Amino acid sequence: MARFVVRRLLLLVPILLGLSILLFVWVRALPGSTAQALLGERTTPGAVDRFNRQYGLDRPITTQYWAYLKTTVRGDLGTSVASRRPVTTEIRERFPATVELAVAAMIFALVIGLPLGFFAAKRYGEFFDHSSLFLSLIGVSIPVFFLPIILKYIFSVRLGWLPSIGRQDVLIDAEHPTGFYVLDGIITGNWNAAWDASKHLLLPAIALGSIPLAIIARVTRASTLDVQNEDYVRTAKAKGLAPSAIDRRHVLRNALLPVTTIIGLQVGILLGGAVLTETVFAIPGMGSWLKEAIFNQDYPALQGGILFLAFVFVLVNLLVDISYGLINPQIRVS
Amino acid sequence: MSLAEVHEVEVLDERLPSGLWREVWRRLRRNPGAIIGATFVAGFVIVAIFAPLLAPYSPNEQNLSLLVNGCCPGPSWSHPMGVDELGRDELSRVMYGARYSLVIGVVAVTVGLSLGMLIGAIAGGFAGLTDSVAMRGMDIMLAIPGFLLALGIVSLMGPGLFPVMIAVGIANVPIFARLFRGTILGQRDSDYALAARSVGVRRRKILTGHIIPNSISPVIVAGTLAMATAIIDVAGLGFLGLGPQDPATPEWGTMLTNANLYVSTAPFLALFPGLAIVIIVLGFNLIGDGLREALDPKLRGRV
Repeated sequence: MARFVVRRLLLLVPILLGLSILLFVWVRALPGSTAQALLGERTTPGAVDRFNRQYGLDRPITTQYWAYLKTTVRGDLGTSVASRRPVTTEIRERFPATVELAVAAMIFALVIGLPLGFFAAKRYGEFFDHSSLFLSLIGVSIPVFFLPIILKYIFSVRLGWLPSIGRQDVLIDAEHPTGFYVLDGIITGNWNAAWDASKHLLLPAIALGSIPLAIIARVTRASTLDVQNEDYVRTAKAKGLAPSAIDRRHVLRNALLPVTTIIGLQVGILLGGAVLTETVFAIPGMGSWLKEAIFNQDYPALQGGILFLAFVFVLVNLLVDISYGLINPQIRVS
Repeated sequence: MSLAEVHEVEVLDERLPSGLWREVWRRLRRNPGAIIGATFVAGFVIVAIFAPLLAPYSPNEQNLSLLVNGCCPGPSWSHPMGVDELGRDELSRVMYGARYSLVIGVVAVTVGLSLGMLIGAIAGGFAGLTDSVAMRGMDIMLAIPGFLLALGIVSLMGPGLFPVMIAVGIANVPIFARLFRGTILGQRDSDYALAARSVGVRRRKILTGHIIPNSISPVIVAGTLAMATAIIDVAGLGFLGLGPQDPATPEWGTMLTNANLYVSTAPFLALFPGLAIVIIVLGFNLIGDGLREALDPKLRGRV
């Protein structure tokens, strides 16, 4: 198992190096000079010269890449053109909002998607099965920017049950030691703040979670159907094990294995979809920040932000792979 | 099934005397989901082609007198989908929008499919270093979540309808490349490839004459499903304001951006373009699923 983990970690190195090359080249492919792209339009010739010297832009491209790699590894992602603050500071402030949203969306997707897929397989070919298939088809077909508009109209405008923008009511006096607003409310004992943050989170999470939900339901259904026909399930039935015990011990456990493998990929959909969901709900997270960065031509922010999110995505997939190795004895042995 | 696919299937039918595609066509016709999907898509193709004849108004005809009572008059007999914030007929705009969406889907998928298949064929056909380099390159692209990759490419090219289509297409390249390479590798070890090799057929000829035609079916399925996601992604970029910069363009994603501002007073402005996206995307998804089942009947009702 240790060898498996080490091997996966080593595989990460070329991917991350490749990513850094890709983003390095990307900045150099931008219109205008690199210094101009990274310093913004309203820069002075003096600042350009200083920047060129500081980052060695007057030197050969390989030296430049080496310099970029060194600063990046040290955790320096440059300075945002729009805010004049370090990109890492911006990320630190905004990333918790996106994580909170993505985690909530994933919980929603799993809590609904897993039972939906499992019971659809148990009622294979029946009405419930057909409707769950139809539901998951709708789920993958609804754009993540359209569903929130509908949800907002129904639950905020019409019914007035839930807030439509932001992460917390501005009138609420709350401290934010971690930046995860729901968690902050709980650990500071401010239940009012936690409740309000949860209410703000609900609609965005449902909207963002709709696609993973549909995919998780489909995969769960398909793998449950496969497992149900396995010999060991027939054996369990033959020896008179109670159906609920068969489901719990034999069917569910094995059916969930393929589902774990797709969860990592769903994180990519969540991080990409966050750009749209955060825009609709005016959530100050990574997604809405990247969107602003495009309009401000804030290339350091885009370069750093995309590199950071890709890094997170790759890391999550590594963790998913490792935990898959842990729960699947077949991989553990080989 | 869209016209393009009917055509595709027929062409392949002539090339493969085995009758595989006739069989697939027969199975597709019996699949209610695929029929519904094909109906949706066919409906949109017809609307897209005949939009100038079908639409009751011009998509950019402004009738500001309709806005005297504020924004925006809801659905009525003369304007079945209501009127937008500039006094334009929403139904006509949604109809013209079908043209954009279909072109977007076709262009984006063609870009992704052709580049992806080229890379996949090179990687799968010439194993060894070429394969490793190409596939590690694809892995790196896949490390960036697809929508973010498309965002990055759009920021290189600047906003607009064309950059957005290309960006979504390029973001799809690694998916097609991996899929095509995988099926080619699977076919390469098959008995008929071995037979061809043993009678002395050249490697290139085996690849182009035998392996590639037999690896095409998973790509067709993926291509159909990619039409669905491409339309959603392009609309998403349009929604962010990166799509067509001329606000007169009736692109559905861009229409939703404006509608989002009026959602409390005129929800129908968001509802109709949004539903149009859902229906056409659903159509392509249903056809894609149907094709997958028809090509691999073992999967029937499974996926």
